[in-house]
Amino acid sequence: MSEHPERSTTAAGPATTVPAVELNGITKRFPGVVANSDVTLKVARGTVHAIVGENGAGKSTLMKILYGMQRPDEGTIEVDGSPVTFHTPADAIKAGIGMVHQHFKLADNLTVLENVVLGSEPRRGWRLDIEGARKKIVEISDRYGLDVDPDPLVEDLGVGERQRVEILKVLYRGARTLILDEPTAVLVPQEVDELFDALQELKAEGLTVIFISHKLDEVLKVADEITVIRRGTTVRTVLPSEVTPRKLAELMVGSELPSPQTSESTVTDRAVLEVKGLTVRDREGRPVVDDVTLTIHAGEVLGIAGVEGNGQAELVEAIMGIRPAEGSVVLEGRDLAGVPTRERRTAGVAFVPEDRIRQGLLLESPLWENRMLGHQTSPPNARGPLVNRRGARADTERIVRDYDVRTPSIDVTASALSGGNQQKLIVGREMSGNPRLLLAAHPTRGVDVGAQAAIWDHLRRARAEGLAVLLISADLDELIGLSDSLKVILRGRLVADADPATVTPEDLGSAMTGAAATGGKPGTADDTDGATDAEGSDV
Amino acid sequence: MERFLPRFDPRKTGLAVLAPVVALVVAAALSSVVLVIAGHSPALAFQRMWEYGTEPAQVVNILNKASGYFLSALAVAIGFRMNLFNIGVDGQYRIAAMAAAVVGATLTLPKPLHILVIVAVAVVVGALWAGIAGLLKVYRGVSEVISTIMLNFIGGAIVAWAVTPQVFAVLENNVVRTKTIPESGWFPGFTWSGIPAGGSQTVVFGEIYGFIVISGLVGVLYWFVLSRTRFGFDLRATGSSEPAAVASGVDVKRMVLTSMLLSGAVAGLVGMPILLGAAHSFGSQDFPSGIGFTGIAIALLGRNNPVGIAFASILWGFLDVSNQILDIESIPKEIVTIMQGAVVLAVVVAYEIVRRIGVATEQRRVMSTENAAPPAVPPATATADTGGER
Repeated sequence: MSEHPERSTTAAGPATTVPAVELNGITKRFPGVVANSDVTLKVARGTVHAIVGENGAGKSTLMKILYGMQRPDEGTIEVDGSPVTFHTPADAIKAGIGMVHQHFKLADNLTVLENVVLGSEPRRGWRLDIEGARKKIVEISDRYGLDVDPDPLVEDLGVGERQRVEILKVLYRGARTLILDEPTAVLVPQEVDELFDALQELKAEGLTVIFISHKLDEVLKVADEITVIRRGTTVRTVLPSEVTPRKLAELMVGSELPSPQTSESTVTDRAVLEVKGLTVRDREGRPVVDDVTLTIHAGEVLGIAGVEGNGQAELVEAIMGIRPAEGSVVLEGRDLAGVPTRERRTAGVAFVPEDRIRQGLLLESPLWENRMLGHQTSPPNARGPLVNRRGARADTERIVRDYDVRTPSIDVTASALSGGNQQKLIVGREMSGNPRLLLAAHPTRGVDVGAQAAIWDHLRRARAEGLAVLLISADLDELIGLSDSLKVILRGRLVADADPATVTPEDLGSAMTGAAATGGKPGTADDTDGATDAEGSDV
Repeated sequence: MERFLPRFDPRKTGLAVLAPVVALVVAAALSSVVLVIAGHSPALAFQRMWEYGTEPAQVVNILNKASGYFLSALAVAIGFRMNLFNIGVDGQYRIAAMAAAVVGATLTLPKPLHILVIVAVAVVVGALWAGIAGLLKVYRGVSEVISTIMLNFIGGAIVAWAVTPQVFAVLENNVVRTKTIPESGWFPGFTWSGIPAGGSQTVVFGEIYGFIVISGLVGVLYWFVLSRTRFGFDLRATGSSEPAAVASGVDVKRMVLTSMLLSGAVAGLVGMPILLGAAHSFGSQDFPSGIGFTGIAIALLGRNNPVGIAFASILWGFLDVSNQILDIESIPKEIVTIMQGAVVLAVVVAYEIVRRIGVATEQRRVMSTENAAPPAVPPATATADTGGER
């Protein structure tokens, strides 16, 4: 049923030369599953070729095949026109294919130079040829405009710099084709721009970049060609000029897109959470959350916009009682000073953590035990001091059903699920037991579009029933669409209020970086009548 | 529907049992190589060990040894389940047994009460000794690995000091021991008698410590607390992911202290089978140092599971007892120590392999479900339909 990818006219670069990488009819089966079927991909030399698809669509399997980490059951791989067979990544590197992983693989306590040469150390006789390596690194850095200094320790580098070190490391090994796996996931906007500049340099020097992402606006900005993968197979290859983000998303999903708009305001005047003068300090005593004051009413979604790492995680953890903080947190009239996390949870605070692997799951435990996590003291999970296995299991089945968690059974370990399904389980769990306040950090991060709509739906329903939600999200459309009021956080301070009815993602974006004065109209966040305006809710 | 697959996955269980078996075979093979290099016949050595180790009198010895090993491994396992490495079971058990012996010898009480007091002293002293490491970790961030090892030495020194004639001990037949506990503080055992193979008269093979029953009960309790109680859930959650446990409301500091105390309490019991069943006083030859470390190996081999630990304890007891015969065959009995080491190494490797196979199989199963499920319709309607009972 898979339509064959119709290649549009070749983008930049010489159209007549052989493609840098060509995949034909790649099929990879796992027992009972086809992860990739009949994938066909042609990447022209000297271009940035994006591969987009939902989570679980088969992007990573495909890249693992191209990088020699897995072998296809059928199909051929050609590099520069000659067929190749990869048994290990070393084979792929030899053929000039390098990979920059989403999670960096650098040793913090080594210098940039040491990291780069690690594993392929240049030797002069018995000794490490440090000077030779330095010369080569500086040369590569200059040539591709990577601006990498070989001497500092990696632990002193920022995220963007680390990524450039990873790229340099791959180039050092002679890669002519680079696979970048979700490279912008960890970057702030300025760093993304710098990365894209670097990619242009690479391209200009005749290198080829395969760029995996699901951030469509970025893909449209940087790619020369875009191939969409859906359900394990390549659906289409398009030029960025031919498509809109919405069109692209629809290709990915294969259906019309939902949008995160709330219908009418359900905000009441009953305050559920009142935070006054909350300050959280890091180890050195510097405030990472600085004098934050906010109120959330029953039936209200308060969105916090901000570039990641501006104190959002700490704010949420302080409200949860995980982090010590100054200032007051009042839940439904009860001062939570000195109240431990467990009691806050039983008082009705639910928590979808930003880092689900670390804080949200027991990876090696079965799903039904993960259902209990954070709710292990209350029904249906507990009976007195004992665990109520039957109750927990039955309720896990309910969550699996209602939240469309795709799993063969509730006895598989959480680590076996894909990220999106893990997130659905967490959201389902936290929405159970009638919470009064939900602290939701990136509630739909990593879930596919269908599940995203389902989660939004659940949030809206709970909001209508009087749930107060503190929503933290990097997805500005989600923030604008779901929130009844918006605040912008910058370096731990709430620097601006915005009205989701009128603010645009662009305004919000500049407020988040502190560039513009403010993104919205200060002060008037309570007025939410027009929250359904279509403005600013493209994908 | 595939979602309702049986809970009991025979393949998974098969893998879990296969791992220790493979490990044992590998260990036997390694030992064989060593034996062959040393110029002995592995077949003969194993055969003699088996014959000797299955003699009734030796079975009694094995079970008696195993009852202490079992408790030692449980003590270690409690820590393991929450990622705490209580290396100090050795010191905890010795100091607890010494204190219990001293207190037991000074008291005169009716029978069940006397035993109860002795056991209580052992449990409390073991817990307190381990608690020092717990407090250091909670309030000063000292790694429990370091502190418990140090406490082993301190404990050993205290025991050595206490068991001198100037302090608590007496010199009897050239042996220094604490005073003997009166008979009201002895735990009755099970006498096993019968007609030995080839014999005609009934003989007593030996006495199995009655405390072995208590060991078993502690095993049951361990299983119950860990898998059926909220406390056990918190403990395991802390062990598998501390940040997740914190976010779920577990007070990790309290948990560290509690589990250290519990681990120490069980460690305190380690010396009880022999103290109450045979020795009746404390002397270094009956309470050697090392049993706590054996417990680590056995907990690993038994995978922190009480049934697994029981089997592993018996295996260890068997290896310990049956090696005695090797001297007679002029085979160095140290071969058994090599074998024990090989078992632990092989087991760790085998479990890791099995774990990876398990994870991979599971991921494949899950992936098939994810891909096989119908394409995600905007579930605004889908979820409303399946809302079901609540």
